[in-house]
Amino acid sequence: MTSKVTTEVLEKGTKQTKTILQIPQKQKSKIYYNRKAESEFFVDNSALAGFTGERILYMSVRELIENSLDSCEINHILPVIRLSLKLLDPLNDLWIISCQDNGIGIPSEKVPVAVCSFLTSGKYVEKQQRGLFGVGLKMIAAFSTKDTDHPLKVWSKSEEESEYYFDLRTDIGTNKPITLFKKSVKNDESQIEGESGFKVEAILRAKLSPVTKNKIYDYISQTSIVNPYAIIIFETDEGKVTFKRRTQIMPNPSREVLPHPSDMDLKTLKKAIFNFMNQKTTLQGILSNSFQKMSNDKAKDIINRAGLTVKPADQYDEHELIKVVNICKHTKFQSPNTDHLSPIGEKILTVGMTSEYSIILNKETSTSGSQTHLSAKILKPSLTSYSSRICVVNNRPTIVECGIAYGGDIPSFKLYRFANKIPLLYDEGSDVAREVISEVGINKMGISKKEVKEQFSNVETRSDRTVEYLPIHIFFHICSTKIPYKTAGKESIASEGDLKKYMKSCLSDLYRKVSAQIRRELKIKEDENKLRLYKHYIPFIVNAISESIKIDSKKLSKAFQNLAEKYVGGELSNIAKQIFPDSDQKRVEPGNKKNTVNNDNGNENKLSKFDTRSRVSVSKQSNKIKPAKINIPRKITKK
Amino acid sequence: MALKDKRHQEITNKIRKIMKNVGDDILVEGIMPSLEIPKVGYDNTVWSDEKRMLTIGEKTVQVGPNSSKKIPTFAQYLVMANAIRKLLDEEMESTIRGMYYATLSTVGDENNQQKFWNGQDDSDDAIKAIELLTNVPREEFSVTSKPKGMISGPITLSVGGDLIDCNLGSRATSQLIPTNIRDLEIVKVKADFVMVVEKDTVLNNIRKSGFIQKYNAILLTGSGEPDRATRMMVKMLNEKWKMPVVIFADADPWGLGIALRYKIGSESLSYDSDRLVTPNSKVLGMMFSDIYEYNIPKVARLAATPEDLNRANDMKKKPWLQDKRWKKELNLFLERKEKCELDAFFKYGFKYLADTYLPNKLREAGVI
Repeated sequence: MTSKVTTEVLEKGTKQTKTILQIPQKQKSKIYYNRKAESEFFVDNSALAGFTGERILYMSVRELIENSLDSCEINHILPVIRLSLKLLDPLNDLWIISCQDNGIGIPSEKVPVAVCSFLTSGKYVEKQQRGLFGVGLKMIAAFSTKDTDHPLKVWSKSEEESEYYFDLRTDIGTNKPITLFKKSVKNDESQIEGESGFKVEAILRAKLSPVTKNKIYDYISQTSIVNPYAIIIFETDEGKVTFKRRTQIMPNPSREVLPHPSDMDLKTLKKAIFNFMNQKTTLQGILSNSFQKMSNDKAKDIINRAGLTVKPADQYDEHELIKVVNICKHTKFQSPNTDHLSPIGEKILTVGMTSEYSIILNKETSTSGSQTHLSAKILKPSLTSYSSRICVVNNRPTIVECGIAYGGDIPSFKLYRFANKIPLLYDEGSDVAREVISEVGINKMGISKKEVKEQFSNVETRSDRTVEYLPIHIFFHICSTKIPYKTAGKESIASEGDLKKYMKSCLSDLYRKVSAQIRRELKIKEDENKLRLYKHYIPFIVNAISESIKIDSKKLSKAFQNLAEKYVGGELSNIAKQIFPDSDQKRVEPGNKKNTVNNDNGNENKLSKFDTRSRVSVSKQSNKIKPAKINIPRKITKK
Repeated sequence: MALKDKRHQEITNKIRKIMKNVGDDILVEGIMPSLEIPKVGYDNTVWSDEKRMLTIGEKTVQVGPNSSKKIPTFAQYLVMANAIRKLLDEEMESTIRGMYYATLSTVGDENNQQKFWNGQDDSDDAIKAIELLTNVPREEFSVTSKPKGMISGPITLSVGGDLIDCNLGSRATSQLIPTNIRDLEIVKVKADFVMVVEKDTVLNNIRKSGFIQKYNAILLTGSGEPDRATRMMVKMLNEKWKMPVVIFADADPWGLGIALRYKIGSESLSYDSDRLVTPNSKVLGMMFSDIYEYNIPKVARLAATPEDLNRANDMKKKPWLQDKRWKKELNLFLERKEKCELDAFFKYGFKYLADTYLPNKLREAGVI
């Protein structure tokens, strides 16, 4: 307050000198220059790492799963991840979260630093990766230390080492770990079964709203879509869900790359020179060895153009080096390599799309009140398609992958966004993928808005974008060494450079690929709708007639149904039978009929005519039939 | 009573015949049933020089459960036909809203539930369809609308035997025109002419001024869009009781439209013109030209809305409005883009309309 008055007075000049005199000298504030420890900085500014009030548990789940997946993929280990999130003390909002993986583990002497000290990471390289560069796990440790008196429990088993157990806390003031307890774990107490692995258990104080809880469920099920090679076992107070491994194929891990010279700045250049300090290497050699697309000749040319004399590399001063940087900014280089990136790939994404897990909350009301129970359901689409583009966006090598899953068990439209294999769940509205979907016309699928709206008019859609009426899931995956996130929260991607153009061309490609199938699906849908209309309206008509004149209403109704079936077309008569189950002679159970065509007396000719198509969509009609049995999703992955 | 039963029998038999045909198509012939219904609307409305009114043309539409759009419509028509049959069999009476409620239900299962009617407009359309199918006006189904037309003056009506004298003497009230016209009879008329005005507010003003007594007139209004009973009352007075009929409506395209309903009929009821239209009636005002001839003050004029202009342009194109008089008026409106209500004369005093404007107009036309 005092200092404020002072400033005002000073600005206004000397007229109010009296005011200044009234302020005692000793009240003037004094600025102390302190250094803040990284841990303290991050705890005070937890929003930078996404750890804001509501999202603490969500971010913790995210960080733990991402660390585990990274730790497995680095050595091509098929991941098995067990995650548990349970309420420990409802009165004090204490949660116990634990995550166990079969990754490479952390060498025992590094565990305390790796868990507790901020900005300590094995990930500081130019490489596509999931993690938040040495903040995530530390954040959990720091929050646990800050809000509870419980230690963080860690079990780690790395290669050629036995299993170790730690009780850890963070000294937030100094960014140093405090090891309360450490021991080598004997066989019978062992937590880690395989050759290596890592388990962490933390107690956190947090509130969990239903919205955030659903985000956690979404996060895990979406993670399983892009990691179908991982087993994820997820346990909560509401039950346990297991996401099974649906493929043994793992993507090639991403590799470290040299920076591209267009991205060079004074810092990267000085670091490169520093790396070669002890070797007698010329600046030319350092340039060509430290940056990609930089040949010896090109390096020489750049040094010449910068007008630098030949001397030992560490003798150049900043004024000279900045010239090299400036020249590089104005020089054309070949596009950066992309082979070090790790896309999900057609095979894996297709597996993910055709076996999409969705977590279902079943509400059970019993005498003890209503309880929710978790279970997982696999959504089988009736068709999927994949397309990708390798491109360079603002000098960053980038791969755009796009997938479509349509029909089958998919109830409605949904957009899935992934960046470096991480699901993005917030801020969908401002993501470039949204724009892409709005801007790519549905007519590329060979269907019109009118057709879609007619067939799916009862779907509850707030949007006026026609594609959102369709039972379609659209997947976008952007992988790059640097994703152009819109905000620090890293939840939406900005439309940077040509990224949007590539995404659009990917999606258009897919729309074209699936157009024939979608048209057929739509036709079937149309016929289904028509049959349903008959089913619903025939009783009204029959009733009106039979009340007015003498007529056998049962006979009339049956005749009308047969007429309707005939009218809609023989191809669909099996759908008709689903809709009018009593319309034919004594029927075999529908499920039976599907799989044992020959046992269905009298109908084998009819049924054998049906191709996979119609059978696929039939499954939608009857909930009794397990989709997995009859749904053979047809991949249309190859051109 | 016995006669009525017979007429009801005739109608219910017509409905049963329709049901029988549909049932036979399905059960015996094994074909999709279909109802052939005369098409109602602009493209099947024909001007008859002989009758001097709008009549319905030859076009028909097929309504059958063969397209997904028509399945519900077909069911709605049959359900409505059955409801009308029940109403007649039970010797009951209903309004069109009553018929809507009588047939209200939901369609479909839990996942896919819809309303049988989206609103009363749907059920009104179904009633119309049954009128067209049976060629019987809905009043004979005992289906009526809420009365809204009003009448005042030296005329005595009999409604189901009860006498109603519309010349109450007090200048303070008007009589609603009953909609159950099958029960309605005109017993006595002692007037020189009939004056129809668009709105009840205007009618009340004129009545209060003593116009009825002064000019020995019957005053009538449809309170906006006239219902069928009002139109039939006008026609009866003109043709059966030989009363000259004059019509006054607001000077805007909608008012002109209403005035013309009485004189030439409408597209939506073109199939019933024979019962409803009074070709000998005279539309005297309020003309667009009256706005300028009577120098209606600027403040009392209203600016035409885009809808008004569209409507006027539409009217100009109708083949039956090619008469020089209407064209001139519509062109004047499109040019000046101003409209005016009859009430605007109140600006000159509350009695000006009844004491000056209307007598002037009537004298010009030779009615008084």
